[in-house]
Amino acid sequence: MADGDISDNEPTTRTLLRRVLDTEAPRTPRRRQSTRAGVQRTPLGTPFSMRLRSQTKTTAGRQPHRARSIGRLAHIQTRGQLKEQTPRTLLENILLTAPESSMVMPESAVKPVPAPQVVQVVQFSRRESSPGSLELQLPELNAPTTLAPGRLTSGRRKKRLRLSEFQQGMDQELPLSQGPVTEPPGNTGASSLSSSLNLTFATPLLPQSVQRPGLARRPPTRRAVDVGIFLQDLQDTSVATAFPDTVLEDTQPFSQPLIGRSPSVHHSLPYPSLSAERTVSRRTRSSGPGLQNNSPGKPAQLLAGKAEEVDALAMRFPNTSSGTSGVDGLEPLLGGVGEEVEERMEESMSLSEVKEATGAQASARAEEPEAHTEVAEAEGSWGAIEEKELEGSSGDKDTEGRTARPELASSTPEFPRARQLEFLEPAPPTSTAVGLFRQQVIPAPSLSSEPLEPLSARLPTRLQTAGPRLRQDPYKMGLSHYAKLFSFYAKMPMEKKALEMVEKCLDKYFQRLCDDLDVFAAHAGRKTVRLEDLELLMRRQGLVTDRVSLHVLVEQHLPLEYRQLLIPCAFSGNTVFPAQ
Amino acid sequence: MDFKKRLKAAVHYTVGCLCEEVASDKEVQLSRQTIAAISEVTFRQCESFAKDLEMFARHAKRSTINTEDVKLLARRSNSLLKYITEKSEEFNVERKTKKKKKLEDENKDSLEPAEAGGVGSEN
Repeated sequence: MADGDISDNEPTTRTLLRRVLDTEAPRTPRRRQSTRAGVQRTPLGTPFSMRLRSQTKTTAGRQPHRARSIGRLAHIQTRGQLKEQTPRTLLENILLTAPESSMVMPESAVKPVPAPQVVQVVQFSRRESSPGSLELQLPELNAPTTLAPGRLTSGRRKKRLRLSEFQQGMDQELPLSQGPVTEPPGNTGASSLSSSLNLTFATPLLPQSVQRPGLARRPPTRRAVDVGIFLQDLQDTSVATAFPDTVLEDTQPFSQPLIGRSPSVHHSLPYPSLSAERTVSRRTRSSGPGLQNNSPGKPAQLLAGKAEEVDALAMRFPNTSSGTSGVDGLEPLLGGVGEEVEERMEESMSLSEVKEATGAQASARAEEPEAHTEVAEAEGSWGAIEEKELEGSSGDKDTEGRTARPELASSTPEFPRARQLEFLEPAPPTSTAVGLFRQQVIPAPSLSSEPLEPLSARLPTRLQTAGPRLRQDPYKMGLSHYAKLFSFYAKMPMEKKALEMVEKCLDKYFQRLCDDLDVFAAHAGRKTVRLEDLELLMRRQGLVTDRVSLHVLVEQHLPLEYRQLLIPCAFSGNTVFPAQ
Repeated sequence: MDFKKRLKAAVHYTVGCLCEEVASDKEVQLSRQTIAAISEVTFRQCESFAKDLEMFARHAKRSTINTEDVKLLARRSNSLLKYITEKSEEFNVERKTKKKKKLEDENKDSLEPAEAGGVGSEN
C-alpha cells in the first residue's frame, strides 16, 4: 500500500516516481497506489494544485498520470475520503517532502480527517504558491497540518522533492528551464509544474557538450609577440623597398591589391594574378580534402605563433604598405611579406602546389613555381632555397602529420581568416594548408624532396637577382617555425641558444639538401630537378632502400591526393580500358 | 664472404701502413684498436662509395662509372674535391698528350713503314 510505495520511494525518489508512473494506469485496482503516487508526486505543489483544479480535465495528457491520480484524489476528496489512503496521500502531499514512509505514513494515518481540510488548504496554498517555491509551500502546508514529525525532515524532503520533481519533470519530458523562473500563479499545471521544477532545480542539467568532451576545443592561443615581430618586419621590409622589381614578382597573395594599386607594375601583376588564382584554387583544393572544417579548429598552438605572425604580417603589410608607402613601395613590401607569408606559412601550399605541379598540371603549375621562385629570388638565393626546402619538407611532414595534428592548422587559419577577408585569400588558405599538412616531427627533408622538383630547378637560375636583405628575415622566420616544433616535441623547456643551434643546423641541412638536388639534376645533364633526383637523394639518406621504394614511402606518408599525383598507377587503378 | 674477408684484411694492412707513416710523421703513437677501427670505417665507407657511384652512374643513365660520378661523390669535402679535380685534369692532360703521342707515333709508324717500304722497295 502506501507504505510499500513510500518505502519504495525511500531508496530513490526517482525510482519511486517511476514506480508511481508505472502504477498510474490502472485506476480501480490501484487507486490507492495511484493516488498515493499522485500524492507523493504532487506534494511538490504545482501538479497537485493543477490536478486539483483540473480534476477531470487532465485525464488525457501525460501529466494526466498525475492528473488522474490527483483527479482521483480530488474525486476522493470530494467524495469525502472514500478510502483511508486518500487522506494519507493528501497528507503526504502536504508534507511535500521526500517520501519517507515512516514519517508520512503515521501522519497520514493520524490525520484522515483533517486531511481533506489540509488538502484544501494545501490546494489553496499550492495554487497561490505554485509559482513560488516549494519551500514556501512546505512550511505552509506543514504549519496548518499537525504533522509535526514531518517537519524535521522537511528540509531534506524539500531537497529531495526538488530532485524528485526535477526528475519527474525529466521523466515526463517537461520543459525545464535551468534558472529559477517565477511564473504567475495563474499558470496552468504545466507551467506551474515547470516553475516548480525550476524552483526545485537542484541538479543542473548536464550540458550536452559534457557528454561529448571530445568536441571541446581549446581556444587558439593568440600571441602578443605578433605585434613586435610585425613591426620589426615592417621596418625591415620598408628598408627593402630598394628591390621593387624583384619583390614585386613575389607578392602572390597580394596580387589582388597590387593589381588595383600598382597598375604601373605590369610585370608583377600577371604573376600575382595567376599565382593568386592558382594558389587560391590550389589552396582551396588542398584544404578541401576534409580539412576546411578542421582548419579553424586546428589552432596551430604550437605553430600558430609563427603562422599567426606571418599571417599578421602578411595581412597587415598590404594594409600598412598601401597606406603608407607608395605604389612601388607597396609592391616590394607586399612582395617581401608575401614571400614570407608564402614561404613560411604556405609551406604546405607550396608543397601541395609542387606536388600538384609534378603530378597533373605541369603547365599550370609551372607558373606557380615560377612565382614561388620569384618569391624566393626576392628573398635571397639561399633563403629562397631553404624556404622551398622548408616548404617541401614541411609540406611532406604536414601531409604525414595532417591527421595527427588537425589542431595545428586551425589556429593559423582562424587568425588570418579574420583579417584576410579582402584579398589575402591565398594567405590564409595557405596557412591552413600549412597547418593542415604540418607534421609533428622535426622536418624530415628526405620526404620533402619530391615536391621541390619544379621549384628547385628554377631557383638556382634566379637566385642572384634577389637582394640579401629580405632573405634573412623570412629564412629565419621559417626556421623559427621548425624550432618551435622542435621545442614542442622536446617536451622540455629549451634554451634560446639551443633553439638557435637547431635553426642553424636546419639551415645548413636545407641548404645542403637543395645543393644536392641541384647537383644531381646537373649530373644527369638536366636543368630541372625531377623525381629521380629526389629519389637519389633519399637513397643516399637511407630512406629509400632496396626493400623500401619511393612509392612505398609515398603511400605511407602522403595523403591520398598526393599519392595519386606521384604514383600514376595508383590513380588509374580503377579504370578499365577495353583491350584493343 | 671469403672475398670480403680478404679484402678487409688487405684494407687493414694498407691502413696500418698509412697510419704508421702518419704516426712517424706526427710523432704520435696509434694503438692497434685505432688502426682496426680506422680500417673498418674505411671498408664500410668504400662500400657506401661503391653503391653511391653506381647510383650516380645509373642516374646519369650510364653503365660505367665516370670521373664525373667520382667528383659528385667527393663534392662534400672541398679539399678532396679540389684534389680530385686537379688530378682528373692532370689525367686528362696526360691522356691528351698520350693520344697525341699515339697519333704522332702512329703517323710516324705508318710513315716509317711506308718509307721503309718505299726505301726498301727502292732498294
